[in-house]
Amino acid sequence: MERKPNQRLLNHYSAWKYVVLIATLIVMLFSALPTWYGEDAAVQVGAKAGLTLTPIALRDKLQAEGVTVKRIDQKNGETLIVLDEDSQQTLVKTLLSSMVTEPKELTLSLASAAPNWLQSLGFQPIKLGLDLRGGVQFLLDVDIEPVYQTQADTLVESLRQFFREHEIRGASARVSAASVDQTSQLYLSLPDNDARAAVRQFMKETYPSWQVTNADSANLQAKLSLEEQTKLRNLTVQQNLQIMRSRIEELGITEALVQRQGEHRIRIELPGVQDPAAAKNVIGATASLAFFEVKESGSVNAMVLNDKSGNPIYVSRMPVLGGDHIVDARASIGEMGMAEVNINLDRVGGQKMSEFSRSKIGKPMATSYSEYSRDEQGKAKQTQEIISVATIQSQLGDRFRITGAGTYQEAQQLALLLRAGSMTAPVTIVEERTIGPTLGAENIENGFAALGLGMGITLLFMALWYRRLGWVANIALISNMVILFGLLALIPGAVLTLPGIAGLVLTVGMAVDTNVLIFERIKDKLKEGRSFALAIDTGFDSAFSTIFDANFTTMITAVVLYSIGNGPIQGFALTLGLGLLTSMFTGIFASRSLINLVYGRDASRHVKV
Amino acid sequence: MKNINLSKWRYVSSAISILLMLASLTIIGVKGFNWGLDFTGGVVTEVQLDKKITSSELQPLLNTAYHQEVNVISASEPGCWVLRYSDIKSADTEPSATDIKQVLAPLSSEVQVLNSSIVGPQVGQELAEQGGLALLVAMVCILGYLSYRFEWRLASGALFALVHDVVFVLAFFALTQMEFNLTVLAAVLAILGYSLNDSIIIADRIRELLIAKPKLAIQEINNQAIVATFSRTMVTSGTTLMTVGALWIMGGGPLEGFSIAMFIGILTGTFSSISVGTSLPELLGLSPEHYKVQVISDTP
Repeated sequence: MERKPNQRLLNHYSAWKYVVLIATLIVMLFSALPTWYGEDAAVQVGAKAGLTLTPIALRDKLQAEGVTVKRIDQKNGETLIVLDEDSQQTLVKTLLSSMVTEPKELTLSLASAAPNWLQSLGFQPIKLGLDLRGGVQFLLDVDIEPVYQTQADTLVESLRQFFREHEIRGASARVSAASVDQTSQLYLSLPDNDARAAVRQFMKETYPSWQVTNADSANLQAKLSLEEQTKLRNLTVQQNLQIMRSRIEELGITEALVQRQGEHRIRIELPGVQDPAAAKNVIGATASLAFFEVKESGSVNAMVLNDKSGNPIYVSRMPVLGGDHIVDARASIGEMGMAEVNINLDRVGGQKMSEFSRSKIGKPMATSYSEYSRDEQGKAKQTQEIISVATIQSQLGDRFRITGAGTYQEAQQLALLLRAGSMTAPVTIVEERTIGPTLGAENIENGFAALGLGMGITLLFMALWYRRLGWVANIALISNMVILFGLLALIPGAVLTLPGIAGLVLTVGMAVDTNVLIFERIKDKLKEGRSFALAIDTGFDSAFSTIFDANFTTMITAVVLYSIGNGPIQGFALTLGLGLLTSMFTGIFASRSLINLVYGRDASRHVKV
Repeated sequence: MKNINLSKWRYVSSAISILLMLASLTIIGVKGFNWGLDFTGGVVTEVQLDKKITSSELQPLLNTAYHQEVNVISASEPGCWVLRYSDIKSADTEPSATDIKQVLAPLSSEVQVLNSSIVGPQVGQELAEQGGLALLVAMVCILGYLSYRFEWRLASGALFALVHDVVFVLAFFALTQMEFNLTVLAAVLAILGYSLNDSIIIADRIRELLIAKPKLAIQEINNQAIVATFSRTMVTSGTTLMTVGALWIMGGGPLEGFSIAMFIGILTGTFSSISVGTSLPELLGLSPEHYKVQVISDTP
């Protein structure tokens, strides 16, 4: 290859690279700053709460109770009371509930303590995990087995009816003991091959989600297909998630987290809550559903229930049918392009519905949703409301559909609620952790003290060891931390946990490795008799593949930890992995641009690094 | 440094490494681990009581309330106690037993629950399985990467050093019976990454030298690679040890297990990457031929 006349400039970065570097650093610095200020506990009073006090009156009233208020913001009818002491949050909420008409509108929240100009830029502090902030964490197990069981029971009923109708004598269907994989299995003993063919045909047409296999001679076995099992499981867990979310909302914690974990678990994190008993009562509520005949308004022999918008609806005192008879409910788009909800009832429910609807064609039927729950004081309470009123089009059997539920989304919502009354999957709390607020604060203090000490020692060591280049490594290390904190604040869903802080401390120790590798190479090249500038160039180049190799394996473990681990461990994996990326950015790119500027033209040999 | 002495030192320390590893495996086999709450399930409650109360007062009270031997450990601060017992069904006992404040009421009215965790046995079992899986998946991925990046003889050295480090850390936890919890597991996984770090940097140098100086004996190449990377190894291990040390001193109780595991892991990681990490490829017959530049013929 011929050498081009204008050779590449040695140790030169073009101006745009500096622009990128400086811009990144400035943005990250701003993003990291709010974390420095931290967050204050606050109580939010919603616009509908009916708070009549002015901020000043409110402050005086709270002060009289021994509460120090940092500031009170009032905007669009909403009031935010920021407290000086985090531990007074619950106290203030109790105090406030006597001053407002709707205590439900009070929520515990956190307010950034950063100055206003910083907040107006849209930067938020890093989200802290429960182990740092204090609070309660629950892990709920959704038991899917009863859902499968209900499906199997309905099929057995339906098959028995089929046997009777087609006069297949000597045939029987029963649910055999749960197999190894914990799903219900059906065993059908049949008299002959004709019966077998007939049953197979029936199953294929009516219950395609069941897999039918030959057991022995004329007998059959049926099992829910894996696909259907997954579908049922997902539906059940999702529906429980939905229920939990709406219940947690009532607790009034804005930062609460409700999410699915694994196949059939739900994790609930309630930061700031100190008493798990209150939360447990709310979580452990049960829901049910019923169908009512709609009476004329003003009717004497009727019960009045409100619908979602609060309008009274007169319904019969006794429900036609309870939600325990619903086997399944799914939303779909009907022939006319209207959203509808398909409902399957069990046999008894089908008979009841059929008897009722025969005489009531053209008349409306109401569906009610009720929830039994315990309030925060542990008292049981029931809430009941009408979720839909639909017209009966024809005599109904064990399968029917409800139209007039609104849009497809609304139909889906209704189906979800209907299933909620049917697929009663018992939910049990399998893990419960409470971290006291003082312990959380102590954890933060210890973690950051360790980070500060580790950082101090490393900076000092690098400055002493690599006298000429040490300051470059130190600037790289400091900007590495700035970028890392900035990224943690920026990435949605990133949470800093105690093991996460440990990851940060480790990153400090390992981040200098990139610079050490490069500096050692530069030393080698200098020994070989090259000029400083040339040694810098070749040193950076030859160290790159080593740096990449070394970081890559740690990255593998970080990714594995993140994808398999849970809560706190994910926090560790996150800081570890991000730390690797940022340390490569600052160690190679940032330190090179600094060295280029200062030593890039240094042609002297015999330099001691 | 005399390179012949260095070779000798390497072989002797490799032998020591292997002996230590065998001893470690025996210790793990005999003593087993003191599994933490995360893996066994159960209840751990940390309470703050009046400083005058002793464990001999606490113990009988708790044992009768929970119908079992309750593990009472005094925490770092005076008056702070960590209570550990297996989960009880609330139906089995009087309702008062579920509330620790009521249980301890006869002793002290000022009971402050600092934190409490209840983990079902099923969850513990699953976590243990997940942890094992994580370890396995990480190992397989690393193995895949190593065999792609390095010749297998060279890779096996790094891998052996890795297993050596993990076994050594595990043995330490078995020997001291310190609690093996989820954060310690995370540390073990992080050690996987860091142990390889050192080995890879030496292996990189060996590869470079094998290509640059194919005439040199393998012992000599290994020695040169170690000498060339020695100051880097010391500096990086030094800074990491210092920061982990800071975490150990300042990080408090919850991170103690983690920092101790990391500290030992980094120490043995540095040691093993120099000793067994280089000696094993030598034993397996690594030679410059494995890195000879393939001559590509000019005619297609």
